[in-house]
Amino acid sequence: MNSDVQRITLNLPASAEYVDIVRLNLYGIASKMGFSYEEIEDMKVAVSEACNNSVLYAYSQEGGMVEVLFQVAGESLSITVRDEGESFDSVGAVGDRTLHDKDLSEVQIGGLGFYLMEALMDEVSVTNQAGKGTEVTLTKRLARSEEPV
Amino acid sequence: MNTKTNDKFNAKTQMNEGVCTVFLSGELDLSVAPDFRLVMEPLVGNSEVDLIVNMKDMTYIDSTGIGILLSILKARHGMEARFAVEEVPPQIQKLFDMTGIAKFFQS
Repeated sequence: MNSDVQRITLNLPASAEYVDIVRLNLYGIASKMGFSYEEIEDMKVAVSEACNNSVLYAYSQEGGMVEVLFQVAGESLSITVRDEGESFDSVGAVGDRTLHDKDLSEVQIGGLGFYLMEALMDEVSVTNQAGKGTEVTLTKRLARSEEPV
Repeated sequence: MNTKTNDKFNAKTQMNEGVCTVFLSGELDLSVAPDFRLVMEPLVGNSEVDLIVNMKDMTYIDSTGIGILLSILKARHGMEARFAVEEVPPQIQKLFDMTGIAKFFQS
């Protein structure tokens, strides 16, 4: 079994108008790997959320870049979104970031992006070093075709 | 009223017997969020009409768009005016269900 990891890297401006290009590349790679339509749609949202964070929070001036690394393994796809920005929208205190148990008056807007990343992917890791940038890695495993008995 | 012709996202407003329906198409992401806000802003404040967003031709939404819908919901709720969505594609409905915004759309 081939256990090599294939790496595909995109380098793009940290600008909202280019995030759809990341989704297009994700579609190409993930469909080649055999992910289902729904899994690909889920991943598109998750990777966009990570890119949105870089676009919104990483750089105070224009000209910053975001690197998106796709790592294609036999059984999974990992996507790492990396910026070299100075700031980061902190996840904040652990707590319920969804709207399920809240009234409209209690609801605060914000935080749904991180929640969606975690809900839509199998694994999420976030590394943030002050002044050196942020790295978000999202992983989704290919579903097995045979169910264990 | 239309937004600028744009393959990525479009909003078309239709007024009919006290109901204002905004037909969205394409992808509602961070890059077009300002356009979406611009379209909705004058409509949200009008408590005389019901406000509906039709999503049948939408192909993508993320937390950016959901956040805007949420702020519209809060504003309309404060005005005791109606805001609803209709013909929501399954993937988008799934995101509404996951985030919990779906319950606020139940009329």
